[in-house]
Amino acid sequence: MKYFILTGLLCLLMTGVFAQSAPARFNLLGKAVDTSAVALNGATVMLLTPKDSALVNFTRTSETGAFQFKNLKRGTYLLKISYVGSIPFNRTIAPPDGNELDLGELKLKPITKELFEVVVKTARAPLTIKGDTIEYNAATFKVPPGSTVEELLRKLPGVQVDQEGNIRAQGQEVKRVTVDGKSFFGSDPKMATKNLPADAISKVQVFTDKSEQAKITGVDDGKKEKTVNLELKDNFKKGGFGKLVAGGGSDLVPDRDNRARGEIKGNYNKFDTKQQFSVIGLANNTNQTGLSWNDYQDFRGSNSFNWNDEADFGFNGGRFIMFGDDQESLSIPVTGGRGRGFSDNQAGGANYNYDTKKTKLSSNYYYSRTRLSLDALRSRENFLPGDLSILTADTSGQINANSNHRGSIRFEKSLDSMSTLIFLNNSRFGTNSGLLQAEQSLFRNGETLTTRNVRNNTSSGQSLGMANTLLFRRKFKTKGRNFAASASILTNTSESQLDLNTSTQFFESSRATLAQRQDQRTNSVSNEYKASLLFTEPFKKKFFWESFYNFSLRRDVADRDVYDRMREGSTGQMPRLDSLSLYYENNYLYNRLGTSVRYSHKGINLTVGAAAQRFDLDGEYANDQSLFLRSKINRTFMNIIPSVGLNYDLKNNRYLNFNYSVNTQMPSARDLQPIVDNSNPLFIRQGNPNLLPSQAHNLWGGFSYFNPGSFTNFWGNINYNYFTNQVVYNQVIDPTTLVTTTRPENISGGFNVGAYTNFSFPLKKTKSNLGFGTNTSYGENLLYINQVLNTSKNQNYTFRARLDLTPVDWFTLYANGEWGIQKVNFSVDTRQNQTIYNYTYGGEMNIRLLGDFYINSNLNYRVFINERFGFNQHVPILNASVYKILGKEKRWEIRGTLYDALNRNLGVNLSAFQNFVTNERVQTISRYGMLTLTYNMRGVKAQMKRQGF
Amino acid sequence: MLKPILLLLLTTSLAFAQKTEGIVTYERKSHWTKIIARLPFLSREEKDRAAMTWKNDDEDKVKMKLLFSEKGSLFTYESEQAQSDDGRWSWRQDDYFISRNFEKETMTDIIETLGKTYIIEDSLRTPVWKVMNQIKDVNGYVCMKAETTDPIRGQKIAAWFSQDIPVPAGPERYFGLPGLIMELDINEGDVILEAVKVEFKPVGKELALPKAKGKKIKETEYESLLTKHINDSIKANRNPYWAIRY
Repeated sequence: MKYFILTGLLCLLMTGVFAQSAPARFNLLGKAVDTSAVALNGATVMLLTPKDSALVNFTRTSETGAFQFKNLKRGTYLLKISYVGSIPFNRTIAPPDGNELDLGELKLKPITKELFEVVVKTARAPLTIKGDTIEYNAATFKVPPGSTVEELLRKLPGVQVDQEGNIRAQGQEVKRVTVDGKSFFGSDPKMATKNLPADAISKVQVFTDKSEQAKITGVDDGKKEKTVNLELKDNFKKGGFGKLVAGGGSDLVPDRDNRARGEIKGNYNKFDTKQQFSVIGLANNTNQTGLSWNDYQDFRGSNSFNWNDEADFGFNGGRFIMFGDDQESLSIPVTGGRGRGFSDNQAGGANYNYDTKKTKLSSNYYYSRTRLSLDALRSRENFLPGDLSILTADTSGQINANSNHRGSIRFEKSLDSMSTLIFLNNSRFGTNSGLLQAEQSLFRNGETLTTRNVRNNTSSGQSLGMANTLLFRRKFKTKGRNFAASASILTNTSESQLDLNTSTQFFESSRATLAQRQDQRTNSVSNEYKASLLFTEPFKKKFFWESFYNFSLRRDVADRDVYDRMREGSTGQMPRLDSLSLYYENNYLYNRLGTSVRYSHKGINLTVGAAAQRFDLDGEYANDQSLFLRSKINRTFMNIIPSVGLNYDLKNNRYLNFNYSVNTQMPSARDLQPIVDNSNPLFIRQGNPNLLPSQAHNLWGGFSYFNPGSFTNFWGNINYNYFTNQVVYNQVIDPTTLVTTTRPENISGGFNVGAYTNFSFPLKKTKSNLGFGTNTSYGENLLYINQVLNTSKNQNYTFRARLDLTPVDWFTLYANGEWGIQKVNFSVDTRQNQTIYNYTYGGEMNIRLLGDFYINSNLNYRVFINERFGFNQHVPILNASVYKILGKEKRWEIRGTLYDALNRNLGVNLSAFQNFVTNERVQTISRYGMLTLTYNMRGVKAQMKRQGF
Repeated sequence: MLKPILLLLLTTSLAFAQKTEGIVTYERKSHWTKIIARLPFLSREEKDRAAMTWKNDDEDKVKMKLLFSEKGSLFTYESEQAQSDDGRWSWRQDDYFISRNFEKETMTDIIETLGKTYIIEDSLRTPVWKVMNQIKDVNGYVCMKAETTDPIRGQKIAAWFSQDIPVPAGPERYFGLPGLIMELDINEGDVILEAVKVEFKPVGKELALPKAKGKKIKETEYESLLTKHINDSIKANRNPYWAIRY
């Protein structure tokens, strides 16, 4: 009863107090001191909401350590005081009864000096404070690779590890070691520290925890145990992913042998933060000869593109010279579309990348094989001076098999923070074999059969190509000062053999028949040694002076022996045909010294420069290697090439560019070798050892604008190219047999001029987009035909339009059209002037149906018209597929596709150039159906919309 | 006896005064493959492909500067032009001036974005900061961690502020902490601004904005402009952050 009254009284009193003094606002004051009661001046005092630590107000302590907050809204706060070198002070503040709350002296504990210095100051690792204890995360303590966690702990401040591996932290014995908060293999703390590798750990946290006993029983026995928690690296990304696509089907062409069609392609990648290993493989008989860009990027990873590997320094960092080589590329071929004819393809490879800030290594091996069978019908009309024209009708069938092994190594090492060394190796070894059966007839003026040739050639060969480059780059303390040096060795060796078997009938001259059977063997070796230097020096803040020097020596040796099989002896001995055999040696020396000045300021980059270059051609050749009497080639060519470039970044995404440059191209080894190539006796090719490098003067001006707010784009450019010493294949036609002999020669005066525009804008933002564009060009090509100069004038007008419709999530349509007119005039015979029309209509449609079913179809409709020949060809290619994405994780896709649904793939091509018009029909894969299954470890995505950028 | 104390007081207050005015230079590092990984229209495969391909080449660095005093701050590019790593190329920087007036509690920003120059004038609205229990060293200054969010871009923002510089200024458009922000982490490392140089000196006149022509708008209008652009871009499968600052 007594209690009851007392409680009641207390209640009354309480309500009285409350009623009396519950002001809406209160003042909060206090004083921050350290453990020895010295006032902390300038400590930050913050008021936070206890719920989510949101900052409400803050102040600073005065010289006496005092602080105060006036007129605080009534409520609970979290008071936080922080001062350098102290553990931040935290206290929950309940609203006082009165209008003032004096907290008195608030003591801030110091952070152990050692810990502070080492963790915060030196290691720059964040320090996390929980209540009164400190967890410090130490990922930056360096230990040698392969170290255990024990060695890592030895490095930590305040942690001692004795001989037996017992750990003491802040003087106390560590009883427990956890990994990611969980006990690791029982209670012995040494189990984890002795067995785990240090580099798997991202954070080490040392803190005081309740004893294990207390945790189990839930009764706090007051005992605290030092605990070390090891957090595993979560950015120590480790993983693998892969993809497999397999499909099978059949041709669906009436009246033809229908072949089964299949394709399979797969890749797998394994990686961690430093390394990536990938394998890829593909096989098909659907004309897909190589990797797509996406496959290539997945295969090469961080080494897909290396921008700084250009070893041939020049104006604006560009390469100095181009080699018009007919060799197959040393790097992995990436092909977009499907090839012509019928091909069986296999390819596969493996790639390994190792990347750290200082060292980067990449190496790969790639093998590819293609067997192509190509049956073609061609007709070609050549216009000659003196009212003469030749119609060539050609039926051919060929089978070619190619296989290539490719390998590459790239090694990059930062020698120090200023210099980098790069080593590059690209190699290729290839073999090829071919079988050609062809019949070719020549008609004088399109009517009179003059000559007919039947060929049955077998060829085989192998080649090895290798390029090794060493590249050194150095920066200096002065920004903009750079030095670079490079050295390269390029090697190409090839051996080829041709078994020529042909017979030619001449109807007009002697009505004779010429049969040829020859064994032609050609070995050639080409070595090139290159070196380049580059130096850039800044001056007057906005200017750079850039100088470069290039050296190149190419040495070609070719040995060709032609034997006459027609006169093969009983022992297999064949007489050598001296007129077709050749031994050839050539040294091509190139030196260039150039300099330029660049002005670079506020979006203007203007470069003006010039280079002097010199070519020395020094060679000799004879019909046979053993002959001392050799024909000599000795030529020197020297000139000065200018370079002007302007880039102007106007405001609001408008850019202006102007460029004048001269590109030099060395003649290809094949054009230089004075070999007579009679593999087609009606069309004989000769090399020319006297060829000079060709030069193209390029003038280019462009403007571009885009508005990211309205998605409107415009760009346009004009260009002009003028050629000096252009390499053209002059023709000499035998007037009676109509046999053509071509020989590459230098000619100056050809040019072309063109303009390009493109404009696109949204009709309705995100729903539809409209675009227009034009190409216009005019060019003149020069060519000697029977020593008469022919100028063919080419006019091209193209108009393009495109419409993108993306109205709803489940339907998208992309349509485009292109209308082109080409007018060709021949100065040798103006009656043969032609007008060719090329129209292309394209479209892609995507529909999403119910239940994750999708439809994708695309159309490519091409029209070729040449009225003079009565040629009017329509080729619509329609592909359509239905697919469904399966599985909870969307990793599977099943797809049914009908390629060339209208069965109209005719492989038609129509073109006009120089003094001829040609049209071609190649038998190519046409309609086929295929069922494809895809498994992608990272999920399959339906491609409804095209990617913007 | 009085003189030395006065002198001491004077010097300490002088030292204090110096620490409230100066220039901070930041290095702004953006990792564009991380930004790409945030785009909802890309598949896991496409994001991984970008990350793998550009592993050694995804960091974009630019220097920014923050002029500060107790009265206000101005944040902009350190140099009017950007330069390639080797210094051989330069290009223009978009106009980007972020001005804060702590006395009048007003803001004026000049931002060239989405094909126009905008002048955003409004009263100051302090972000809601959460102060965390973490300290670390940034360029010799012990900093505390505070967190907020950018609801327009959907970003997590972490700021490390130093109480040694008792000015509520910060880089980009962030401010309002009991100390200058020395490091700003936008969306878990996608973009990081870290103070690389701190200079204490009077900046009085330098805090003034350059003269600029542009469209005057309020903060809410600017925010809705960004929101619309982000939504439109994502719908059109475009990366919105090619055109706006991340």
